Amino acid sequence: MKKNNIEGWLFVSPLIIWISLVILVPIYIAFELSLFNVKIIGTSGKFVGIDNYIKLLGKSKFLNASLNSLYWIIGNAICQTFFAFTIALTINYKFPGKKIMANWIILSFIIPTVVVVVIWKLMLSSSSGVINSVLIDIGLLDEATGFFSSPNKAFISLVLINSWRWSPFLALIILSGLNSINREMYDASKVDGANFIQQFFFITFPNLKSVLFVLGLVGTLLSFNIFDIIWLITKGGPSSATTTLPLLIYETAFTKFRISQAATLSIITSFLLLLFSIIFIKSMAPNEDD
Amino acid sequence: MKMIKENNIKLIFLSLSLLLIILIFFFPFFWIITSSFKSPEEIIATSTTIIPRSFTLEHYNKILFNSDFFIYLKNSLIVSFSSMITSIILSVSAAYGLHKLKFYGNKFVEYSLLVTYAFPGVILLVPIYLLFAKVNLLNSYFALIIVNVLFATPFAVWMLKAFFKLIPNEIEEAAYIDGASRYIVISRIIVPLAAPGIASVSIFCFIISWTEYLFASILISGDNLKTLPVGLAGIVGQYQIDWGFLLSGAVLASLPVILLFVFIGKYFVSGLTEGAVK
Repeated sequence: MKKNNIEGWLFVSPLIIWISLVILVPIYIAFELSLFNVKIIGTSGKFVGIDNYIKLLGKSKFLNASLNSLYWIIGNAICQTFFAFTIALTINYKFPGKKIMANWIILSFIIPTVVVVVIWKLMLSSSSGVINSVLIDIGLLDEATGFFSSPNKAFISLVLINSWRWSPFLALIILSGLNSINREMYDASKVDGANFIQQFFFITFPNLKSVLFVLGLVGTLLSFNIFDIIWLITKGGPSSATTTLPLLIYETAFTKFRISQAATLSIITSFLLLLFSIIFIKSMAPNEDD
Repeated sequence: MKMIKENNIKLIFLSLSLLLIILIFFFPFFWIITSSFKSPEEIIATSTTIIPRSFTLEHYNKILFNSDFFIYLKNSLIVSFSSMITSIILSVSAAYGLHKLKFYGNKFVEYSLLVTYAFPGVILLVPIYLLFAKVNLLNSYFALIIVNVLFATPFAVWMLKAFFKLIPNEIEEAAYIDGASRYIVISRIIVPLAAPGIASVSIFCFIISWTEYLFASILISGDNLKTLPVGLAGIVGQYQIDWGFLLSGAVLASLPVILLFVFIGKYFVSGLTEGAVK
């Protein structure tokens, strides 16, 4: 198909302008702020150059939050891959009620995050939660446990809650990839004697490349950005165990009122994410023939 | 013989994963909906029963007639519908340019759009707050619409890609030969043919706006402009949580998106699953 340069850009430009304005102008403001020493919003501070950056990189809080973010991304990637593939491969089979399940599995994604928080705060409550009483009934626990009381338990609980919210949505995207795989390949492999585990690793998985590329990129960035689930459940605690970079930025700006520090954190984080994206696209982007 | 054995294993796998999925992804909904009708004592009782023992409408009574629920609902509806319509116009136009016209740099634009997911979220929070404060946009619906469109459109464009690619170029070319203008082609051919895609993108944009909490909690401080998630979060944060009140609020706040989903949800799911990402 012939290229249509001017008209093409014309159709894309309203969105490009909108997005650029809402991203680039704030990034510029953040960069400017990071070079000054502004504390409370609306006041002015003195020029400090790259002082904020130097101070920040040496802080244990920053290191702690970066590590938490890294664990958060890895934990979510593992859980969500497991849940999403289980859902997608299950729905891909024929069984009674398949249509209803395919339509409504996404329920956890369409409700507000705040409702997700309400659901799991109630279910995991240490005094009256249904999970605790079930675990006690089947003998896995001796007495009710606080799922958000120790650093490790809180972190794992949050990863599971966040995965609960996102996996069904990811499953549907994987399903779209599964639907685009030619059925004949499975039949042919059956003739050659492949079982369904071999089919998964030699046909299903390789054919999902372009879907997995988008999921790997967008999924990682989306996981990184999660704020509300963590904030509304643990506020980053206990003892900063669940303070990821987004929470640290929020806390620095809106509870400690160190605007310049928060801006510096934002700039460093943007840089890290941009670097990740470029490397990911350069090395993983599938070749499309169109 | 081998076939039968493999089928049995498949059946066991299928039943197990179905059971797991129902328990993990559907049971919690059953639980909060039934709990929202339980008496306050039963909700916080230490021994839990799967079948409710009490039934009361007092929580719904309280939230509907004795709280700001309808104000928050109105705000959420206005913000979500406006964000949805703006997002659709911008993303359909962009998707058309990207996937039907092809121009120099379109791959770059396509990937950049995906990467914009890197910037939303809390990173932009502080500077956007300052920017909106400067241009007097704080405490307005428009502030939230600007941000929601930013969150919704990159993925919306990606979702539309599959639908636009399904429309054969020959149809368009034939229309041009017959003397149709670009406007006619888009409004009479492209939009009707991509309608299921546009429907699924609409739901996506609506959901993104309906569930947004972070920016709504920072950019809006007036009680009369707060959205439902922010209103609900206010109850979650209280030291002594009134569970019945909170649960009925959670159910009611989910109801609009669920109703929307009842009517056009199948487009969303088929839009995601059958649009063949090729």
